[in-house]
Amino acid sequence: MPTYRTATEDETIALGERLAARLPRKGVTLLIGNLGAGKTTLAKGIVKGLKAAAPEDVASPTFTLIHEYGGGRVCHVDLYRLDDPREVATLGLDDLFERDAQVLIEWGERFPELLPAERTEVRIRALENDEREIEVIERP
Amino acid sequence: MKVVRILGIESSCDETAAAVVENAEVVLSSVVASQMTTHGKYGGVVPELASREHLRAIVPVVREALGLAGARLEDLAAIAVTTGPGLVGSLLVGMTYAKSLSFASGVPLIAVNHIEGHIHSVILEARRAGTEVAFPALALVVSGGHTHLFEVREGFEYRLLGKTRDDAAGEAFDKVAKLLGFSYPGGPVIDFLAPYGDPNAVRFTFARMKGNASDFSFSGLKTAVLRWVEARGMESEIAARRALRRGPSPPTAEEWLAATPRATLDLLASFQHAVIRELLTRAVAAAERMGARALIVSGGVACNTGLRAAAASAGLPYPVFFPSPGFSTDNAAMIAAAAFPKLERNQFARLDIAADAGLTLA
Repeated sequence: MPTYRTATEDETIALGERLAARLPRKGVTLLIGNLGAGKTTLAKGIVKGLKAAAPEDVASPTFTLIHEYGGGRVCHVDLYRLDDPREVATLGLDDLFERDAQVLIEWGERFPELLPAERTEVRIRALENDEREIEVIERP
Repeated sequence: MKVVRILGIESSCDETAAAVVENAEVVLSSVVASQMTTHGKYGGVVPELASREHLRAIVPVVREALGLAGARLEDLAAIAVTTGPGLVGSLLVGMTYAKSLSFASGVPLIAVNHIEGHIHSVILEARRAGTEVAFPALALVVSGGHTHLFEVREGFEYRLLGKTRDDAAGEAFDKVAKLLGFSYPGGPVIDFLAPYGDPNAVRFTFARMKGNASDFSFSGLKTAVLRWVEARGMESEIAARRALRRGPSPPTAEEWLAATPRATLDLLASFQHAVIRELLTRAVAAAERMGARALIVSGGVACNTGLRAAAASAGLPYPVFFPSPGFSTDNAAMIAAAAFPKLERNQFARLDIAADAGLTLA
């Protein structure tokens, strides 16, 4: 279970690019961390690493819930606003999981019963200043 | 002058809306069935609820819009419908209904981009008031899902000048409101409370960004507010507001004010001030670079009274246009208005056009 440290936003994006190289073409990755931890920043790096879009084109999907990049090769989901698993269930996540796509999910850990057992979890913690600690866990 | 009427249908997000607009100028009817009360309970837009609510509302809303306008379907020049961006499930409700109306009546269909609609909201109202928007204009479209700067040229050609790299401005309002225990949407409550605080009490600074100088960023500001709150142990007042929110009826503005201590009012005032400064500074600089002859502000955040006041007192060398509050938020008159130039160019949509969740304007 490798743990990384980054000191700036640019380093977090660069780490995302490196992580992208290790992710399967089809899979689910949870981005876990508090408000402002840097989940969307890391997503920018992963999307860039998968050559699906430029980092500046990857914005927060909080309002829109699902963003797709690279013709649907990467989906960026954000469940921040949803509280009830029944509502999340109707979002059609299962369809996304079946696609030949890498599905990045923010705030997904709040609905474990809706997620595949086989997944990557990336835990991001804000330290002092702009430093971040990023831990990558492969499940199961 | 020949009377040309277009029916507009909008269902991309919160609202199910229909409107009839005549000659790109007169709004004969504009009906909006808001789902805000349904969503408020969940703290946001819930897609399944959204599409179900759209489905329930679409037929009566369109019927009412036609009835209020005294318009018959067969007499319309076109049916305009939002095809994106938005939630696919929600878009499909409006699109499917618009297509069936078009198929049944033979009235042609026009596809409209939701963001272009927001820009036309302002252009329509300005025209009606006899103060036409001069081009090229700079359009700032700012809402919960969008923060974009467009150059708008004669003939409605668009060029994207900048956009948010992370959170939309309206999303920053919503997230700050939520973390402080207020209800959704966050914009109106923060806008109401901000004048009671000192906008210079908390100094928020924006990190300088590399690359496009017209891009926005609100994520750092959101995080700064979170750090400020964490450092001050505000749990009890936040819990009190959450309890207020869960009460039997939605809290009034005065109840929110009573539940918000001075230091928090200062925080809200400073936060709103920082958002406004970020929006206006970048918009004004972009307007200057492109030689804009007008500034258009639209989208839900255009309702913000602090933003309106700041724009009015900025002493800009070109007029600034805001939509009236009912035209800031999502409505269908803007969709019909945006369709008139397309009608002139015979730019009709086929009945098999698909919804595009990520549709871009330029």
